[in-house]
Amino acid sequence: MSKLVTGDGRTHIASALMRESLVDKKVVARTQSDREFEIMPDVALVSVGGQSIFDRGKSALLPLVAELASLRSKHKLVIGVGGGTRVRHTVSVALDLGIPTGGIAQLVGAMEECNAVFLNALLAKQGSIVMQREHFWELPLYLDNGMLPIVISVPPYHFWEPPPPEGDVLPTHGSDFGLFMLAEVLGMRRMVFVKDEDGLYTADPKKDPNAKHIPHTTLEALLEKMPDEMIIDKQLFGAWRTARHVREVQIVNGLKPGQLTRALAGERVGTVIEKETRSS
Amino acid sequence: MSEGERRVISSALSQSAMTGGNESFDYSPVAMMPDVKVIKIGGQSIMDRGREALFPILDELVAVRQQYKLLLNCGGGTRARHVYAIASDLEFPTGLLAALGGYVPRQNARMIQMLLAKHGGLFMMHDDFEKLPLYFALGCIPIMTGMPPFGYWEKPTENGRIPQHRTDAGVFLSAEVLGCKRALFIKDEEGLFEDDPKKNKNARHIPRIGAKELLKMDLPDLVLERIVIEYLARARFCTELQIVNGLTRGNITRALAGEDVGTIIYKD
Repeated sequence: MSKLVTGDGRTHIASALMRESLVDKKVVARTQSDREFEIMPDVALVSVGGQSIFDRGKSALLPLVAELASLRSKHKLVIGVGGGTRVRHTVSVALDLGIPTGGIAQLVGAMEECNAVFLNALLAKQGSIVMQREHFWELPLYLDNGMLPIVISVPPYHFWEPPPPEGDVLPTHGSDFGLFMLAEVLGMRRMVFVKDEDGLYTADPKKDPNAKHIPHTTLEALLEKMPDEMIIDKQLFGAWRTARHVREVQIVNGLKPGQLTRALAGERVGTVIEKETRSS
Repeated sequence: MSEGERRVISSALSQSAMTGGNESFDYSPVAMMPDVKVIKIGGQSIMDRGREALFPILDELVAVRQQYKLLLNCGGGTRARHVYAIASDLEFPTGLLAALGGYVPRQNARMIQMLLAKHGGLFMMHDDFEKLPLYFALGCIPIMTGMPPFGYWEKPTENGRIPQHRTDAGVFLSAEVLGCKRALFIKDEEGLFEDDPKKNKNARHIPRIGAKELLKMDLPDLVLERIVIEYLARARFCTELQIVNGLTRGNITRALAGEDVGTIIYKD
């Protein structure tokens, strides 16, 4: 039985962190170890883009839905969705109204949830299910039965969204980051983002015809020189720096049938971003 | 528009990658409820001391409850440390520690609710935040966990696995989104010292200091979570954090009246 420690006016439970300040850098460092427990390492997270896929409607979405349905028997997949143009409209209106940062963060998730419901309606007969916010412990049940859980992408920062860096006005913890954190905390090793480009380019290929495709890069290289306009939230890369589990983030073109299937089979289509060293 | 193209709702951001750098916006956010007093009751510093420390603090708060809109937030304390120690020993990820650590301040908030029930004490969850105007209109004292709702989505901590956002962060972020100028932290020390006063009796008290100045000092330990000081430096509304010793009677009343007791950390 745990020992209770008194004598300084407070009642403590004996533990390695008893009486300690959790702000003390030395105390925090004592909780570091080279290993970290992996909760669901054999699951991959697939994110379907909002603007890039959903906002194109039927012609982009239906072939991808068929591909996802065919993949569920081969891989354990968790699916996330982006919000797309409705998120941008929400934020534009909210900024004009002077809604505080946390208020904007509270609003945007609704537009992503719409896309989760769209996707679920299309995949329901294939065994998809919209998973409640943090019902992670139901995932083994879904996956062992060959189902396709669709998760909420936006992280629950809501009203408590931290103030953005100086010069920025938008909330920084969006759906790409939220899905990354979900993969990371469950110990997943890889994520695949399904967009409408073959991955990363030196500039936005929709605006710059000279943009060059980047088939392979590393987190370290991106952190050193981040392109101005990214196809994925920058916050994801900041979190990846201190992450322990996710090793690979791949971006594929969902408008080209088969790319997602090839990526999940381990082929280096699109862009592969790797983390060079696992942080110790 | 042809079949298969992106169908875009035109707006100021419709062509934006939404990945930062939007300084061209004319953005002047509205303060939602600037007159709320966002108050944290420390876990280890107050709750773990039990009745002797807590009751006089609650008496002070009840005495002024008609004057101010009080939003109480609870810290965790020794049970949270026990959870973190065991989860860390099991090499669990930071997000799991944050989710597990969140249970303790919720217990503390429920305890305070029971003690304040006859004075309108009301336990609330994060999802009830939008009902605050109702609670205040009814003359209630809403009580919630200080932990922000990040839980499993808490970012991995560098060089360790204790979550960076804990109950101080939640209190600051609540004050910031409500548009309150000052957040009040009730602890068992007179505020900020240059070293831990519990371990070093000669540690010097700091009555007032800027956030950037404090970060530059790179102290080995701090009275508030480090990330809160980083956020304070770029806050829009909550630009002052006041830390008072709740064990000294009258401190809370004076702080709520606007007196600079304890330590003020401000946005510089």
